[in-house]
Amino acid sequence: MFIAILRVIVRRLLAIVPVFAVVTVLVFGALRILPVDPAQMSLPPSATIEQVEAKREAMGLNRPIWTQYSMWAQAAITGDLGESAQYRTSTAAVVLDRLPATIELVICALIFAVCVGMTGGLLIFAVRGTALESVGLVVTSAVMALPDFLLALLFILLLGVLIPIFPVNGRLDPGMQVPSYTGFLLIDAVLTGDFRVIVSAFEHIALPVMALGLAFSPTIVRVLHASLINTYQQSYIQQARLRGLSDREILFGQALKNAIVPVVILVGTQFGGLFGGTLLVEMIFSFPGLGNLMVKAMQTADLSVIMAISLIYCATTLIFNSIADALAYLLNPRLRNG
Amino acid sequence: MMGKMYRLPDPGLLIGGSVALLVLVCGIFAPWIAPYHPNDQELLFILAPPVWADGGSMAHPLGTDSLGRDTLSRLIYGARTAVTVAAAASFGAMLLGAFFAHLAGYFGGWVDWIISRTVEIWLSFPPVVLSMLLITGLGIGIDKVILAIVLVDWTRFCRVLRSEVQVARGQDYVAFARLIGFSHFRVIIREIFPATLPMLITLLSLQMGISVVVEAILSFVAMGVPSDVPAWGQMIADARIDMYYAPWGLALPIFAIFLTVLSFNLFGDGLRRTLDPRHTAQRSA
Repeated sequence: MFIAILRVIVRRLLAIVPVFAVVTVLVFGALRILPVDPAQMSLPPSATIEQVEAKREAMGLNRPIWTQYSMWAQAAITGDLGESAQYRTSTAAVVLDRLPATIELVICALIFAVCVGMTGGLLIFAVRGTALESVGLVVTSAVMALPDFLLALLFILLLGVLIPIFPVNGRLDPGMQVPSYTGFLLIDAVLTGDFRVIVSAFEHIALPVMALGLAFSPTIVRVLHASLINTYQQSYIQQARLRGLSDREILFGQALKNAIVPVVILVGTQFGGLFGGTLLVEMIFSFPGLGNLMVKAMQTADLSVIMAISLIYCATTLIFNSIADALAYLLNPRLRNG
Repeated sequence: MMGKMYRLPDPGLLIGGSVALLVLVCGIFAPWIAPYHPNDQELLFILAPPVWADGGSMAHPLGTDSLGRDTLSRLIYGARTAVTVAAAASFGAMLLGAFFAHLAGYFGGWVDWIISRTVEIWLSFPPVVLSMLLITGLGIGIDKVILAIVLVDWTRFCRVLRSEVQVARGQDYVAFARLIGFSHFRVIIREIFPATLPMLITLLSLQMGISVVVEAILSFVAMGVPSDVPAWGQMIADARIDMYYAPWGLALPIFAIFLTVLSFNLFGDGLRRTLDPRHTAQRSA
């Protein structure tokens, strides 16, 4: 059983390898078309023309583009993603340094979104047929019209400026320091055991998580609500009711198991959007993660960083798509026979 | 259960449609409606509060920004930018997406394979990332923003419409049209396209909302329209610095974006309920 599940997941993950390879070619090509000279970018402004020319030769920029790509690909496989023009150090180090912050943010936001979305969907379903259902659906539409970056600004305005409950900048109060055990600040803060540091870390991540998560939740509410309504029309629910099961037993024991499948697919396919949302939310909260780095890299045309982060975004999106696909397949026996 | 309620003209369609129309009118007639030119500075009235707050005056009903520019006028001209981008970009994305969707869905085989793989690769980028990447390459300007949105969002249309086309393709009347010797082109335009039209219009309305958001995002990070063109995203970015003294300057453009996107979404959802017979049937079952 376990091996069968593993096989399903591995097969889907293998299917994304060619797609990812094509993506690397496209991004590489697109970035080389930009009117930016990577050699000039990676040298101080005082460099002479000869120095730039020598650097171009060293970076292989005078060779045809497919040679450049194969040079990049060979280096990338060994973990060398080039040098960041902006920070003048290895791109891989810069990116890996910021990655844990973003992972932490996205996972917290996902948990928040699923909790809010599931609760909302179940609540609206519980009051079906009454005026409250329409109210709930209108509220859902309203939240849907607020994208993550607007929610972030609204939260800053409401909970940071008008009623200052939460801090709106960075990850910790000024002056606090957390030794890096795992690289994940929340875990490290808990490991220190210092109550003040833990509270500060959670306070700082609260608003970005709420902005990202709340923006994602209305879609979950809608899909769960619609899927529950569909499930309740099936005869096995009727059957369960005739057997004398209570409403609660029917909902949680029988209906939810099937109704959850579209939600799983939704979370998997829309995860890329959530991950992409970190770009602006991190920038707005000065949160030192990948998104913030990406915005800076795009403003300064730091090609190797743009390339590395784009590929991380693509890889994450592809992986989550295929995991959702595999999960839906495992959760729904009918798909297996078809 | 819900069937009876939606027999009447759909409330979402009505409300969403009228608000969207209002924004559209604001955009088109901006020079006649707006009390001031959006870039006129009155340095005596810097960060003036709106009329309902302490110290507000009717001279600037919604206050002014940090350069003394009238907020109401900038909001109205911002509507013009938003509506222009939303209409042009959504229409462009629709044309491109519908074209490839009909090709893929109608011909199937290797055409379908290539188009579907392309869409798959496109969708592996988070849309925000892809549009910002494109702007890095294209440079800023209204036309560049429109082009970037078209190039990012055509996949939304392509993916949904392709399966609609496949359904229509399997219908008997399409097979009949082929049998009596209509060309592929004529079958697609005259027989299949009308069948996918309801879905197309619905997607278009939803895409308008998405385009407004993308335009706001791009102008917020100064990768959108040039700085002399008023845009809501840009107003938000400007007002962010002064939000401690002038919170209204930040709240108003946020509200404008919210209202516009909500109206397009309501309109789109209303259209879907009204135009799609399957949906009505499901609802009343």
